[in-house]
Amino acid sequence: MSIQCGELCAVIIKQYFGENAQKVADLLFSSGSRNLSSLVKATNLTKAQVSMVLAVLIKFQLVTFEPSFSNENIPEYSIKKEAVLQMLRYPRYVHLMHTKYGTVGSTLTEELLRSGSQTASQVILKCFSSAENKDTMAAYRDTFVQMVRDNYLIRCPMPRITESPVIIPVLEIEQHLLFRPPDLDLGKLQKLQSGATTEVPDGDSYWRVNFDRLHQDFRDNIMTTAVERKMGASAAECFKYILQQMYEKTDAWQKDYSNPITFIEVKQAIEKKSNNLELMKNLDQYITLIAEDNIGFIRKIGETGGGQYVVEMKKVFDELSQVCTENIITEKFGSKASRIFRVIRSKRFIEQEDIQKEAMVPSKEAKLLTYKLFEEQFIQIKTIRKAGGGGSGPAKSFFLFTINEKQIVRMLLDMSYKALFNAISRSSYEKRDNKRLIDKSQKLDSIVEAMKERGESEEYIAEILETLTPPEREVLEKVKARIKTLSSAELAIDDTLFLFQMHQYYNSS
Amino acid sequence: MAAAVPDEVVHQLLAVIQANPAGVSNEHIVKQLPELSGEQRVGALNKLLQQGMLDLLRKGEVLFYRVKDPKKSTAPKGADNEEKIVYNIIEEGGNKGIWIRDIRLKSNLNMTQLNKILKNLENKKLIKAVKSVNASKKKVYMLYNLDPDRSITGGAWYQDQDFESEFVDVLNQQCLRFLQMRRDAAKEKRDGPLLTKQMSCCSVKDVHKFISELGISKVSLDEDDLETILKTVVFDGKAERIMLANGSYVYRAVEQPLPPPGIVRTPCGICPVIKNCSTCGQVTPIVCQYLKDWLD
Repeated sequence: MSIQCGELCAVIIKQYFGENAQKVADLLFSSGSRNLSSLVKATNLTKAQVSMVLAVLIKFQLVTFEPSFSNENIPEYSIKKEAVLQMLRYPRYVHLMHTKYGTVGSTLTEELLRSGSQTASQVILKCFSSAENKDTMAAYRDTFVQMVRDNYLIRCPMPRITESPVIIPVLEIEQHLLFRPPDLDLGKLQKLQSGATTEVPDGDSYWRVNFDRLHQDFRDNIMTTAVERKMGASAAECFKYILQQMYEKTDAWQKDYSNPITFIEVKQAIEKKSNNLELMKNLDQYITLIAEDNIGFIRKIGETGGGQYVVEMKKVFDELSQVCTENIITEKFGSKASRIFRVIRSKRFIEQEDIQKEAMVPSKEAKLLTYKLFEEQFIQIKTIRKAGGGGSGPAKSFFLFTINEKQIVRMLLDMSYKALFNAISRSSYEKRDNKRLIDKSQKLDSIVEAMKERGESEEYIAEILETLTPPEREVLEKVKARIKTLSSAELAIDDTLFLFQMHQYYNSS
Repeated sequence: MAAAVPDEVVHQLLAVIQANPAGVSNEHIVKQLPELSGEQRVGALNKLLQQGMLDLLRKGEVLFYRVKDPKKSTAPKGADNEEKIVYNIIEEGGNKGIWIRDIRLKSNLNMTQLNKILKNLENKKLIKAVKSVNASKKKVYMLYNLDPDRSITGGAWYQDQDFESEFVDVLNQQCLRFLQMRRDAAKEKRDGPLLTKQMSCCSVKDVHKFISELGISKVSLDEDDLETILKTVVFDGKAERIMLANGSYVYRAVEQPLPPPGIVRTPCGICPVIKNCSTCGQVTPIVCQYLKDWLD
């Protein structure tokens, strides 16, 4: 956890939950875990305010609590930074669900994300009433159930029911309940919609978005795109089926490599589902191709069932994050620098003179770039001292350049945090700086909307609209464009962040 | 004593030795020319050695005589002994050249004398001084008619101690173009993925042929030179190097597995001063000029 990351979390929390929440989150972030009274003391907020903030953050699964080590009756709160960072990805989640389940799916996801966790009936009702009512309530229900079946939504753990009242509830859930669809009664939902009060059958089960499942899709997408870019569309399709087969018997987040998949299994799956004739004809060739590729997506481990293969996630993400690092170096320091970086990587340890020979770069330029890379901490120096010498004559030592991948990934993660922080704080600055204008235009919009409903004359509306002068309008357009660019930048940076996070996940023990 | 040996004998002896370029032993000469007396033989050999026509070699305990390479044996005529010694030392250095310090150590001459001799020899066009690419101040001496070794000149990539980076860049691009052409041609044939992959692989020989036919290089390049160029293409991440079963390498153009990462599409990803960036001070996201230029 770096300072960068803490600052980023702070601005995200501030953006979504306001300043009080930011104060609490900052404290939680800097101190690991704290109890309520110390939070109240340190934030200068009232107890009610802090409790409110904590309750909201807990609802959004950003904060967890557990009994204090010293006193079992006092809960201590701690913040989950990964969850906070995930909030930046909300637009991507919604987009993904839109491609999978259409508008209905995306509104359901949006609603769940907005409320943190919610009962199924509430979510469906809210979506139904806020949407333009093109879809029936049954469509919402079916999509919800389907999303649960596909593991995109997950049931929240509930407090354990005990006989005596407890001070700190323990949240738990049985494994088989996690993805069991809720009982939804359409009739009762309709009644609620029309204003009557009834009991819904699923009032006690809360749902949230299953981020792991979505991340799994993102991760698979990165890999399939890589296969497609290197070996073409058919190979990518083949790889998709290989992944599908893998999920049949492997936990999606298993580290290192998966359980073995046989050629026959993949073949059967493709014959059943695919209509890509070219792929079917050359399936064995495509699998060999993918296995032979130097990124090492899959590895052959035996001959059973026409050939046994394992998927090597760790290796893939090691390679891909390396490629990403190289790309960043190319953009930052030019292609010669990335050539030098690759030379060092392939040779592991190498001397300055050999670098310029291998990379075919003039010695002056090579030195400049190598030292620049060293300065920016993309490469490191290992010094090997020759024994002896004993002070007589110059001490002879060798300076070998080398690469520490984990360190680079950590550094680039930090850089991504900072870039995200910059994008968010810049965009909130733009908003703040032009607050008067934005407010004015929003007010105008609502007035115009109301006037249109009342059916006032076009001329009058045009007159009202003119209160926003052309220069003001111009500035407003500019600011809007800036904010839009910045938010798309946030998503772009998050892409890189995700890749490096995957690398860290697979390299953590 | 030498005068006592008739020229005929000397010629006969020379012919015998010349017949065996690897050198002959004393016994061999005795067998070939049994009519020669020991005294005559020694006299003739001495004469030849004095004239600098023969080299005296030692293999184990046995002495061998060998004719000096006529090219090499342009020993300075009318040179004094010191010059001869220096010349021989330089000759030993071959086309790698020899540093002036080493000459001094080997010859035991003092600096001024040695400088004079070297200058003399240079003026007579018997030796030349060559600058090494590795250390531009370091001069090495070698015989005038020799081509300097690659380690001295740096091979095809150097012109007067300057690395020709444009030339290397052009070759790099052409090699890549050739690999890509091969790949595209292979793709069009649609013979199944493995065959396509195999056909898009090129050996160094193929590339060498292509580059020589292109005629972009004034200097003749050999396959080793092109191998170094191809390696730079690999280090650019635009090709991969595959080892075949017989231990040789082939090259193949490949695409990057990832699109340009998102972070470099924002100014912060390529910002040179991101280390100084914070919420206060000179560099902040609010006053940042890079961000401002990018947003407008």
